[in-house]
Amino acid sequence: MPRWLAFLLVLAIGIALGLVYGWVIDPVEYVDTTPNTLRSDYRADYVLMVAEAYGSEQDAATAARRLAILGSEGPGEIAASALQQARGYGFAAPDLELIQKLTTAMQAWKPPGEGAVP
Amino acid sequence: MRGFRWQLILALIGGLILGVLYSWILAPVRYVDTSPNTLRADFKDQFRSSIAAAYAATGNLERARARLALLGDPNTIDALSAQAQRMLAAGDSFGNVQQVAQLAADLRAQPGIVQAATARPTFPPTRPPVQGSPQPITSTETPPPQGTFETPEAISSPTPRPTRTPSPAPGKPFALVAQDTLCEPDLQEGLLQVIVLDSRRRQVPGAEIVVAWDAGEEHFFTGFKPELGDGYADFVMKAGTVYNVRVAAGGPPVSGVTPPSCSSESGGSFTGAIRLTFQQD
Repeated sequence: MPRWLAFLLVLAIGIALGLVYGWVIDPVEYVDTTPNTLRSDYRADYVLMVAEAYGSEQDAATAARRLAILGSEGPGEIAASALQQARGYGFAAPDLELIQKLTTAMQAWKPPGEGAVP
Repeated sequence: MRGFRWQLILALIGGLILGVLYSWILAPVRYVDTSPNTLRADFKDQFRSSIAAAYAATGNLERARARLALLGDPNTIDALSAQAQRMLAAGDSFGNVQQVAQLAADLRAQPGIVQAATARPTFPPTRPPVQGSPQPITSTETPPPQGTFETPEAISSPTPRPTRTPSPAPGKPFALVAQDTLCEPDLQEGLLQVIVLDSRRRQVPGAEIVVAWDAGEEHFFTGFKPELGDGYADFVMKAGTVYNVRVAAGGPPVSGVTPPSCSSESGGSFTGAIRLTFQQD
């Protein structure tokens, strides 16, 4: 075997071992994640929590503030996306109804200063 | 030949370094499907607040319990109590604080089976979601939002809707039913202990207490030291100062409250404590 080939082969083995170490054995650990990285079912359940609270409080601004931690999209988009996910996951009809109501409210809601929709 | 062997070793080491650099810096493992237990502390607080708000709206304690378990707190009740105190210190609205404190009190009153350690997802966050796994939580079924983690069998059966720890009926006044002088050297000097009970003598968390004296006024709440009781609150009085104490929700104030002077076994004196017990009519 030519020396250069052996050299490249060993280099490749080293890279492979390095990748295994970095991706599998000791990967970068995320311990302080943000809610926008949550798995979609957790996000959908979080939106359901907000919807449950909104169903009782009827406070759109508070609901929008709670939803805001899920990402930079508008609260209407976040709620609508969660509604789709919830349907896909087979949430119960009363829960879907709550999220639907929240979605409707969030799509109508405007932040202060942008002309609130009654 | 010996020189070539060294070249191979150097190539292996160089390859290792390149591989680790690539996997740690250029293309680290991306966590896009994380679970709530990995959230940053402040986001966990917001998560808990939302759980408490949802619980306040629905009264579904089992659902709240399962959601809290996802956060992976070693002790859910302590985490809620500590958060309630942080919220109070940060000037959060009393309504929000009360929701968190109420949830802690209700969890304490109705200990469940789900513990954080057992309800935590058993898969790494990089595992893709199992299709169809997130089961909705209906009001008559035990939560949690997905069946992708282990839950004890004991909670997989339908769970009856829990009864909530009763809050005081609005508008009904609280009256003083007991005033005790405590001459116990172990207690902090001048400690004013307040216990608030509802009409059925159950301790009431989240009751606002108002203490007034010549130079000022202080507001504090029951339920923030759950180890001493959900309806317990305390305040440190200054010797020689006279206080009026009342429950903010209503009821006559207790006037002339002042730290008592007590005698110790050695013949000396020290400032004792007072315990006031209020009960709703």
